[in-house]
Amino acid sequence: MSLLALAPMLAVLLTGTAALLVRGWPRLQRGVSVLGTLGYAGAVGSLCWQVVSGGAVVYQVGGWRAPFGITLVADALSAFMLALTAIVAVYAVVFSVRFIDDRNQRVYYHPMFQFLLLGATGALLTGDLFNLFVWFEVMLMASYVFVAFYGNAQHTAAAVRYVVLNIIGGVLMLLGIGGLYATTGTLNMADMARVLADPGGVTGAVVGLSALIFVTFALKAGLVPFQFWVPSAYRAAPLPVVAVFAGATKKVGIYAIIRLYFTVFGNADLSVAVPGADAGSSIGFLAPVLVLMGVASILVGGLGAVTRDSLDELFAYSSIGQIGFIAVPIGIAAASTGSLRHLGVLAALVFAFHHAVTKGLLFLSTGVIRDAVGTTRLSRLGGLADSSPAFASVMLVGGLSLVGIPPLAGFFGKLFVFDAASRRFAVAAAGTETTAGAAAILLVLVVGAVLTILYSTRAWMGAFWGGQTEAVVRGRIDPVEVALLSTFAAVVLASGVGFEPIVQFADAAADAALDTDGYVDLVLGGERS
Amino acid sequence: MADLFVLALAIALPFLAAVFAPLLYRLLGETVGYVGAVVAAVCFALLLTQVGAEGTVSTPWIPSMDVAFRFTVDAFGLLFALLASGIGILIFAYAREYMHGKPDLGRFYMALLAFMGSILGVALAADLVALFLFWELTSVCSFVLIGYYTDDAESRYSARMAMVITVGGGLCLLVGILLIAVGAESVGLAPFDLAAILANRGAVADAMRAQGVFLPALALVAVAAAAKSAQVPLYVWLPGAMVAPTPVSAFLHSATMVKVGVYALGRLRPLFHGPEWMALVATLGMVTMTVGALLAVLATDIKELLAYSTASHLGLMVAAFGFESHYGAEAGAFHLFNHALFKATLFLVAGIVAHEAGTRAIDDLGGLREDLPITAGITVLAALSMAGIPPFNGFYSKEILFEAAWEAAVHGGGLLWLYPATAVFASVFTVLYSLRFLWLFFGPRPDGLGPVHRAPLGLLAPPAVLAVAVAAVSVVPGVAIDLLVDDAASATAVSHVEIHAGIPTSLSGPVVMSAITIAVGVAAFPFYDRIRASLERVRAATTLVHPTVGYDALLSATDRASGLVGRSVHNGLIRTYVWWVLLSACVLTVAGYATATTGLPTPAVAETPVALVLVLAVAVVAAVAVTTADSHVTGVLTLGILGFMVAIFYILASGADLALTQLVVETLLLLIFLLVLEELPAYYGEIDLLRAARDGALSVAVGATAFVSVLYAAPDGAGAPTPTASFFTNNAIPEGGGANIVNVILTDFRAFDTLGESIVIVLAALSVLVLLTMRDRGETQ
Repeated sequence: MSLLALAPMLAVLLTGTAALLVRGWPRLQRGVSVLGTLGYAGAVGSLCWQVVSGGAVVYQVGGWRAPFGITLVADALSAFMLALTAIVAVYAVVFSVRFIDDRNQRVYYHPMFQFLLLGATGALLTGDLFNLFVWFEVMLMASYVFVAFYGNAQHTAAAVRYVVLNIIGGVLMLLGIGGLYATTGTLNMADMARVLADPGGVTGAVVGLSALIFVTFALKAGLVPFQFWVPSAYRAAPLPVVAVFAGATKKVGIYAIIRLYFTVFGNADLSVAVPGADAGSSIGFLAPVLVLMGVASILVGGLGAVTRDSLDELFAYSSIGQIGFIAVPIGIAAASTGSLRHLGVLAALVFAFHHAVTKGLLFLSTGVIRDAVGTTRLSRLGGLADSSPAFASVMLVGGLSLVGIPPLAGFFGKLFVFDAASRRFAVAAAGTETTAGAAAILLVLVVGAVLTILYSTRAWMGAFWGGQTEAVVRGRIDPVEVALLSTFAAVVLASGVGFEPIVQFADAAADAALDTDGYVDLVLGGERS
Repeated sequence: MADLFVLALAIALPFLAAVFAPLLYRLLGETVGYVGAVVAAVCFALLLTQVGAEGTVSTPWIPSMDVAFRFTVDAFGLLFALLASGIGILIFAYAREYMHGKPDLGRFYMALLAFMGSILGVALAADLVALFLFWELTSVCSFVLIGYYTDDAESRYSARMAMVITVGGGLCLLVGILLIAVGAESVGLAPFDLAAILANRGAVADAMRAQGVFLPALALVAVAAAAKSAQVPLYVWLPGAMVAPTPVSAFLHSATMVKVGVYALGRLRPLFHGPEWMALVATLGMVTMTVGALLAVLATDIKELLAYSTASHLGLMVAAFGFESHYGAEAGAFHLFNHALFKATLFLVAGIVAHEAGTRAIDDLGGLREDLPITAGITVLAALSMAGIPPFNGFYSKEILFEAAWEAAVHGGGLLWLYPATAVFASVFTVLYSLRFLWLFFGPRPDGLGPVHRAPLGLLAPPAVLAVAVAAVSVVPGVAIDLLVDDAASATAVSHVEIHAGIPTSLSGPVVMSAITIAVGVAAFPFYDRIRASLERVRAATTLVHPTVGYDALLSATDRASGLVGRSVHNGLIRTYVWWVLLSACVLTVAGYATATTGLPTPAVAETPVALVLVLAVAVVAAVAVTTADSHVTGVLTLGILGFMVAIFYILASGADLALTQLVVETLLLLIFLLVLEELPAYYGEIDLLRAARDGALSVAVGATAFVSVLYAAPDGAGAPTPTASFFTNNAIPEGGGANIVNVILTDFRAFDTLGESIVIVLAALSVLVLLTMRDRGETQ
């Protein structure tokens, strides 16, 4: 059973290697890549099933018992993030086969796609801090290549910015990991959580050291002020890969924040005095940081998206803003204890799920437009609804989900995030605290949501309504791509209408994220007794 | 008892029909309008079976959140639902004729049907989340329908504005709902169960007050209703929405969708009932009633006139529900009913006029009674009802509003006398513009007006049916009141309700108010043009009331900010990006140390050999020299010195493997650098002093942060090896079979890391191949 924890990584590793080996036969390579990704989805699916029905799975790589070797841990939190990664990955790879130029697909596109997934999957599954760094590197290395993939000046420039910022992030992460290893004496996350929870077992320095690592995660997630790379990288990379970037790899940064700061540091025996945070919270330091960064992301991303001409850049800015909607509830969770902490993490997870499928759909839809018209510039688009009403509906579903219209996936993301903020407000209003902070958070969320309406309507109307431009008249929308994406749109709709299993899964994931003792027992339990 | 199946069917049927509308349109052509009418008729009949029933039924939706499709049958919900489906029948029939020959009818009927389903959902929902679901869906359908003429820039502008304002208002409703849920949960109710919340409204309201969320929730609900029901200052989208085809205006933007906000206020009135509620809601309504009426007088287009008039009447209803007395509930519910009848009629009349006369400009129209005699008759009934002239039904409900305003003033005194005064003032203008609308038929015929055709039966029948309804309610108001309206008002009231409709027989304050209104209105009508001209001067002087000023300001402000974010924040310069990233990282890390530690650690200083000091000193000198190097080559070479010093440091610290690695890396880097530098220009440009100082300061900060981090992390030298270190030492040979612990770690204990790093190397190799292959290729062949 424990091998199940390894299965997703094994699936992508084998697929990636096989895709390298058969690169002389392009059709075969595509088949391998698509089937391998489906196999990956299957592996993730059975892992999720096992985790939900039978409990978390732990695999000690090489048979070295924790905390000395490297441990893979598939609990509900990891499984939840893997599930949304798998959904986006399947659509992205199938779409790639249709969308990416045949000749370009042969330039190691498929092997690198699999290695990108491998990095994300490894980061979601590992229970070891240094190993997390390794899979981050794999993920980043593959993404560097994708940003530079098309090889023109614009793509190269974007790649240089991306590489430089992420190398800084990597150095900071190494410094932080080294420091934590030196202070706690372990790299195993469960073991680290155990050491930290020990009364007097640790110095306050871990707060600063963990902040160093936090920078890397924030950089990966694209939170302001670490978002600079996002717009140009998203414009440069192939659109199916951008769907994975926005849908999955950004979420790895979010996952790492939740995993490390809640599961590992959440029970630490530290007294942190931060205004606005519950005194009992050892991660209270993170609360103002995440809230401020989230708020800034919402504003920068939302405002930035309003007038962007090209759809991919518009959605890139939108991603910055939407990640802010994920960071704010995590910040609220960090400031609170008890049920509100749980609600904050749950809200972040539900929103992350929504953003993965919704933004995945929107970036792939942008790909359809690029394929048909040859541009994603709104100034050169118009009247696409006349060419394909079906495609107009598909992208309308994406846009409305982004706005948060019920019963689409995005609505529940919005509902939970606003719920966390409202309850934070209620807590402040009922107590002696000032409500100004909580009210300001609510206000920014509302402003951010209004900005989302502004840019979503502009993007959709600009592309689909109005007179047809010459480029649109000449273009032809690929019905196969539209058919594929209409099933994706159906996923966005179905995950809202049938939200019950998703909220249960997310709830289990939030439980797992906050259950430090359970996590420690899971990983070390057998060995300690 | 309410029947879940019937209710669910009535709501689901229009949605189902909407899904098939494009297909049906392909099969049946324009006849699909009649299919819509049949669907509406079936819904109407289904709902009729529920008249007299009471109660809540539900089916679970998201059990873990306690969200369900709960539906309540009561007179207020039924009144609204019957109005929507009943008027829906006529609208669909009218649209069949009116939309003849128009494009995209599949989409049109799809949206119209989905809208009808949504509005029935709003009317019957007894779950806050379900209510929000249908509320938002009405906004989306409205967006699609306003933007029906997609090629027209004004349509697109108006559709987007309606979407931004109504869905933006929806956000306030969402937060309001969530705050109500907080209150409900704390008294042990299911958080979103509206029926239970209303049944325990006292306890919920108290709990909300205790938690300090009562007033915020009240204000948010009011803002949401104001956005949806076109209250000042959010009414601006409603006149814009008139670009939609007339059946849409009649259905959505007068009779039903815009009443959703009013409906929600009526629903939640018992929960929020109190002085704060009146202060906010009644005032909001009164202001809108006045502003709307003034703007209606200013209108130059018949649909525009009706749109502002709608805003004004919505204000009347909002104000009514705002008043604390039972008159408020009565006026709100009754006027909701009356307004739907006469205003839908007038919109359909406006459609006929535009269709047959070819223009909607008020000044170009007149004397239409000759050409459109039946339409003229219909208009007389509806317009007099709108004006509030006895014995028409619009008079009855407005009279009750006057009573509510009078009652509030008598009860509260002082400033509250502004309520009746404003009501009369606004109503005078209502009389004025109503008469002006009537004058389209009875005034002189302008010379420029071309031939006007008789309206076909398909266009005439629906408003005629509505006019008959207006007449029936006017003559025998008791029937409708006894059947539904009285009970509907009770649902929105906290005290006993009994609606009296009829011609007043004794003199009282409200009767005097009515008399003044009508007398002044009729007397002033001959001076209509002069009044309009002076109002026009006021409007020109106060741009604030110009409908779209606020919205346009919002757009241009966000546009400006957006440009700024694009240009200034993301200026494309790596230097800027790195600067902010490093600064933020330092601030975060130092803040982390500051919150959780006291003072810097003092590591146990071991004896430092002279050689080590020398090596590090050379490294420092090299580091400084790099910054002052005058060419790339010198810089790289100096950097090399720094690297080699670090390697020597490793040797001195007994890290032979590390030193070896460092030496290889340094040598390679030096070579690669030198090769690349061949391709670069020889010198940097000069940098200005300020930037150099800023960058220098940041460099020092980064160095200090790293230094402090190392200080914190440095082992104090006193402790025993960690369990991990001991494990590696003890097991390297017996379990790993190697004497070099580092090697055993890399290849065995932590071989998984090595696997990952090997993949990184593979990827690096691939990246070289990709960059070389793709460098002159680009995106497409």
